Amino acid sequence: MFSVLVIVSGLVDLLGSGDDTVPMVTLGVLAGLVSSIGYSRIRAAERVRDADVLGGLTLCLLLLVMMVSAAHLLIGTTGSVVDALTDSTAALTTTALGVLAPDVGDHAGRFLRAGSQWLGGFGGLMVAVAILPFFGAEREFADRSRLRGRRPMTPNRLTAMRNIVYLHGVVSVGTWIGYVLAGLGTFDALMVAMATVSTGGMVDGDPFADPAVQYVAIAGMAVTGTSLVVLWRLVVGRTRGLMRSAELRAYLGLLVLGTALLLLWTGGSGPDGIRRAAFTVTAAVTTTGFPSAPAGIWAAAAPVLLLGLVSIGPMTGSAGGGFQIMRHRALLKVALREMVRQLHPRVVSRVRLGGRVVSEATLSRIVVVQFLVVSVVFATATVVAAMGLDMAAALGVAIHAISTGGPVRALDGSLLDPTDWSAPVRLAILPAMVIGRLSVYPAMVAASSTISAVRHRVRLRRRILSYRGRAG
Amino acid sequence: MTDPSTDVEAGGWNRMVSARGGIRSTTAHVTGLALLFISLGMLLSAVVEYVDGTNGAALLMAATATAVSGAALWWSTRPGALDHATIFTAVGTTWLVASAFGALPYLFAGTFAVAGRPWAVVLADALFESISGYSCTGSTVFGGHNPIGSQGSGVLLYRQLTQWAGGMGIVVLVVTVLPSLRASGLGLIDAEAPGMGVDRLAPRVKDTATRFWKLYTGLTALIAVGLLAAGMGPFDAIAHALTTASTGGFSTRDASIGHWDSLSVELVLVVAMVLGAANFTLHWRSLASRRIVHFRDHEFRGYLTILGVGTLLVAGMLAIDGMGVGRALRMGVFNVVTLGTSSGFGNATGAGSGGDFVRWTAGPQMILLFLMVFGGCAGSTAGGVKVVRLRVGMSHAYRTLRGFRRPRALFPVRQGARTVPEAIVERIAGFMVVYGMLVVVGTVAVTALGTDLVTAVGGVIGALGNMGPALGDVGPADSFVDGFSTPARMVLAVLMLVGRLEIFPMLLMLVAPYRSLRGAGRSNRP
Repeated sequence: MFSVLVIVSGLVDLLGSGDDTVPMVTLGVLAGLVSSIGYSRIRAAERVRDADVLGGLTLCLLLLVMMVSAAHLLIGTTGSVVDALTDSTAALTTTALGVLAPDVGDHAGRFLRAGSQWLGGFGGLMVAVAILPFFGAEREFADRSRLRGRRPMTPNRLTAMRNIVYLHGVVSVGTWIGYVLAGLGTFDALMVAMATVSTGGMVDGDPFADPAVQYVAIAGMAVTGTSLVVLWRLVVGRTRGLMRSAELRAYLGLLVLGTALLLLWTGGSGPDGIRRAAFTVTAAVTTTGFPSAPAGIWAAAAPVLLLGLVSIGPMTGSAGGGFQIMRHRALLKVALREMVRQLHPRVVSRVRLGGRVVSEATLSRIVVVQFLVVSVVFATATVVAAMGLDMAAALGVAIHAISTGGPVRALDGSLLDPTDWSAPVRLAILPAMVIGRLSVYPAMVAASSTISAVRHRVRLRRRILSYRGRAG
Repeated sequence: MTDPSTDVEAGGWNRMVSARGGIRSTTAHVTGLALLFISLGMLLSAVVEYVDGTNGAALLMAATATAVSGAALWWSTRPGALDHATIFTAVGTTWLVASAFGALPYLFAGTFAVAGRPWAVVLADALFESISGYSCTGSTVFGGHNPIGSQGSGVLLYRQLTQWAGGMGIVVLVVTVLPSLRASGLGLIDAEAPGMGVDRLAPRVKDTATRFWKLYTGLTALIAVGLLAAGMGPFDAIAHALTTASTGGFSTRDASIGHWDSLSVELVLVVAMVLGAANFTLHWRSLASRRIVHFRDHEFRGYLTILGVGTLLVAGMLAIDGMGVGRALRMGVFNVVTLGTSSGFGNATGAGSGGDFVRWTAGPQMILLFLMVFGGCAGSTAGGVKVVRLRVGMSHAYRTLRGFRRPRALFPVRQGARTVPEAIVERIAGFMVVYGMLVVVGTVAVTALGTDLVTAVGGVIGALGNMGPALGDVGPADSFVDGFSTPARMVLAVLMLVGRLEIFPMLLMLVAPYRSLRGAGRSNRP
């Protein structure tokens, strides 16, 4: 994947000066060779555990971050290792907290950045739709039923992956065409389209000054925040009962209600005000994070509303981050069940979502995800606060990082520039971005496996030393 | 517990009137008795006011109104059978009614009737102060515009007494003198007590409640002696002992503990707050066995660890920010303990002084926010989520992650050598979910009413955890009038009550009346 991205970025540079073509193609070929050799030499274990797959995913993302950073350093987009790491992590985790600003003529750098976002969004979809449901987490949410001749989207892993490629490709191309028709240049439209469909949100300059582009962006983000299962059902014609989906209704309701509240709390009015509010709210709900400067005087509740929307996130099974609506619904039902249990302690009560009973194991995992998310937010906020950010910014940064959203706003609604933050602050938010993009579990499983392995090694070493001590 | 279908409260009005003429209603009976108890506090405060030479008529009037209402409720009703819905209704209603009557002394004395303020705001402020007192939160609407120091000693004592009564629990007090509840009384105590349940200190529920109160009174007396020895005057020592044992945090001075600026007073309070926020069952066992058993308890050890690590981090950051090591340690210890135990005293000598933690850098404030969430131990007078729930939550998260590595293994959640039953784990998980939702909903509501994010988050977490001060605009020496609008203060007052009763009683208290209405509707059908 990386080698393809780098080679294409190198070739794209031929549209401009072409200075970066040779190093990028060389790097891509080398990376491709190394990975081919590794793939052919290293055999997969006979028995693969869930933890191995989840740990592998995390390792994969971390390696990608390193290599994209190396590519940025190689072509001179930046000379700072921290900036390269921050930007490549932000791009691959689709968190709109990038710090680089490639020149308009730097086609390789711009394409590498946008391509990283697209790859990150695609990876996020793969994790959410084709990997996690097959490895013990949230199995119920996969679209597998073949009842009454249905064509499910994810009957098995391979078909799921194929369908994701198909759908993500169609949405990407559609958005690209939309931007071109709205008046953006072909290359610029491609860059913005990749940032839109991946929910990456990192764009160069201000492409959204034109209302037509903003309308396309609103539509593109709204589609990207929709579950792929919903899009699949639209494609295969299973539209009957689609609007009965509580999650879809909640998602659309969130967009409409959020827009109305933002209008109310920012004093906006008229078609322009509605468009601007819809753009800001859609960028928040889908965790895309396209920047939009505040118009008018923002009430205290307006930035809090956007922060809340970012943490809620879009539909489960979309490229967006956040806690996602399905999980929130599950939590709400757990809360209601807990109240019923207080009154009837012996009652047997099942939680249903989308007409299906959700297993206790899945509910328990969702609750744990919430616990872990809150813990990561607290830890990240504390660390960045200790490094000099004020409390509002620290909380905002932590929530945006784990939700893979952006941009962070001050209490008056103005945008905070990540380039103003110190290098340690930027480095401190990277783990939260990675954890958020991987839907929490893979990164946490990898971390706990690593900690366990280190602990076992230390214990073993201690035992060996004590045995030697006794023997000697 | 009885079968709900046989419960008279669930059966409609026509079955509520017993054969002997008294109305059977546990809720009204318990509430009436609770009002009688709180009228005693008002009476005592009125006496102090008279002794002090000021006019105690307002307090006397409030005591009379409360006592008459309480007596009327008590005499006209008899306790009925208890199901879970009735327990929640009884406890929730008692706290609501007690808080409402608790506002009478402030209203009659015109405490908040500052010129130019509308009556609705005066009423809201009196209610806020009363709820903040009974729920042991310690947030106050006194401040620069209406200083605490200008109040009479009776009102000041009454304010401290509200926290003392709320600390151990008004309903626990009622159970000590209500033999007719028998074993069902444990349900009432359980619904009111902080934590995951009540350990019986004696075979009889009434004896358990009595022992809790004796222990509590003894601790209060001990703290008062300690504060006297540390240099406080007798009135202030007793007043602060009342709000320290209850981890409430009300003070008789505008600058709170900062008024004394005394290391010895702060040290006594630190030890007392830690004891107040520890499980009272441990105190009882230590007294009974004449050995300190606290350190065998995993929750207590975890709690001390959290306070210790929090102190080191806060003191370290303050020292790095240039406060000086000794002073940083003193400020760190006091403020970590006061917020980690949900007491909420302040040791700031003025705005911008060392103890004014809202002027600190954001790092130490984030740690204080974390401590405000978790509070003290279960079975104590402290608020917050509680350390035991944090430990169980962490164990549950860890075992879920381990489950990915060993999908077929069964990992029990353990607390020391004991395995925590799955039902309790689920209950804790459910509690934390509801708690988190309340924080989010509360924050959105308070910001929508005009408060900025940091102040709102601090205020909501502080209210739900019964802490006292918030962050942002409302620090340890500030009035809530300065940081929150009147409707926002009312939202916080509701959250205080919800938090004090550990969420469910207040949320579920309307279930039994709903059932009553439904039952009455059914019984009227032909």
